[in-house]
Amino acid sequence: MIRKSAIKTACNFAKNDIIVSANGFISRDVYSSFEKDTNFYMIGSMGLASSIGLGIALKKPKKKVFVFDGDGNILMNLGSLVTIGALQPKNLIHLIFDNNIHESTGGQPTLANKINISKIAKVANYKIFSVKSMKSLENVFMKINKIKGPILIHIIVTKSIEKSSRVEVSPKKITSRFMSAIK
Amino acid sequence: MNEKIQREIFHYFDVNKIENFVGVPDSTLKHFIDEGLRVKKIIIANREEEAIGIAAGMILAGSPTMMFMQNAGFANSISTITSLIQLYEIPILFLIGWRGYLKDDAPEHEKIGKIQPQLLKSLNLQNKVLTDKTWKKHCKWALTQIQNNKPAALVIKREFLD
Repeated sequence: MIRKSAIKTACNFAKNDIIVSANGFISRDVYSSFEKDTNFYMIGSMGLASSIGLGIALKKPKKKVFVFDGDGNILMNLGSLVTIGALQPKNLIHLIFDNNIHESTGGQPTLANKINISKIAKVANYKIFSVKSMKSLENVFMKINKIKGPILIHIIVTKSIEKSSRVEVSPKKITSRFMSAIK
Repeated sequence: MNEKIQREIFHYFDVNKIENFVGVPDSTLKHFIDEGLRVKKIIIANREEEAIGIAAGMILAGSPTMMFMQNAGFANSISTITSLIQLYEIPILFLIGWRGYLKDDAPEHEKIGKIQPQLLKSLNLQNKVLTDKTWKKHCKWALTQIQNNKPAALVIKREFLD
């Protein structure tokens, strides 16, 4: 499953919900797949998408918050799995698009395939799903509507051939329109 | 800064509608954090950058938030401050315990403590050092900053050795 098509499917599923997307190609893919005011594209501060998502989820318990994370990003802030698992936000869905590389910086390997990210999340008290195909990703999306979070979906992907363009909304604008849209 | 004032500072912000206090513990801020823990309004994160991320999310959700840490953790967070807080113009309130302010503090705090004021200045992060006499005035200033959509940092010096 190519990352961008997995991201497109996930964007469609979260079309009425909040999305916080990790820096690099993940934010670019979200931007080109389903641009909307309730997307927070995190272009700097690598590793922090899940922390930002946690803060939003805790203060907006009636809204669903999707974090679009990468393997490089979560490995950089692994403690976030512990904090999310400890605070148990029921409305947080954490997607990890795992291509086992830092694709945005030129495809250097991460250590993601040496360990099992979803097992770490499981012992941190997430509900976990692991998928490798588009069909199983769609099946998981059907299931999670009835499940309380925090949920982690570990999505094994391959790198994209197509390169999405940069996010063209200014960070200042991302903040102001996001805040108005989720009020 | 004495225990009573630190506890008062917590209540000052609590009463003045700071809804969340997220951070990493620091001995200089011990009584402030203790007071927050006592009333169950503190979230302890694992690292400072993470705490800033959580606080930023809360602020994006419309909930005014303070993030507290030691100056060593502040130094850890510089890239997060420039590429998240300042880039996205997120009005966060920082409270920073300043180790290495006294010359004979522990050796690991010496260098970073010495450059603490310069770090704040280089970042162009507006800040005030709280004292027993001026704390209320400066806390009020910090609230005005965030109401005007700007971040602010308050610093408490470590004036004791252990």
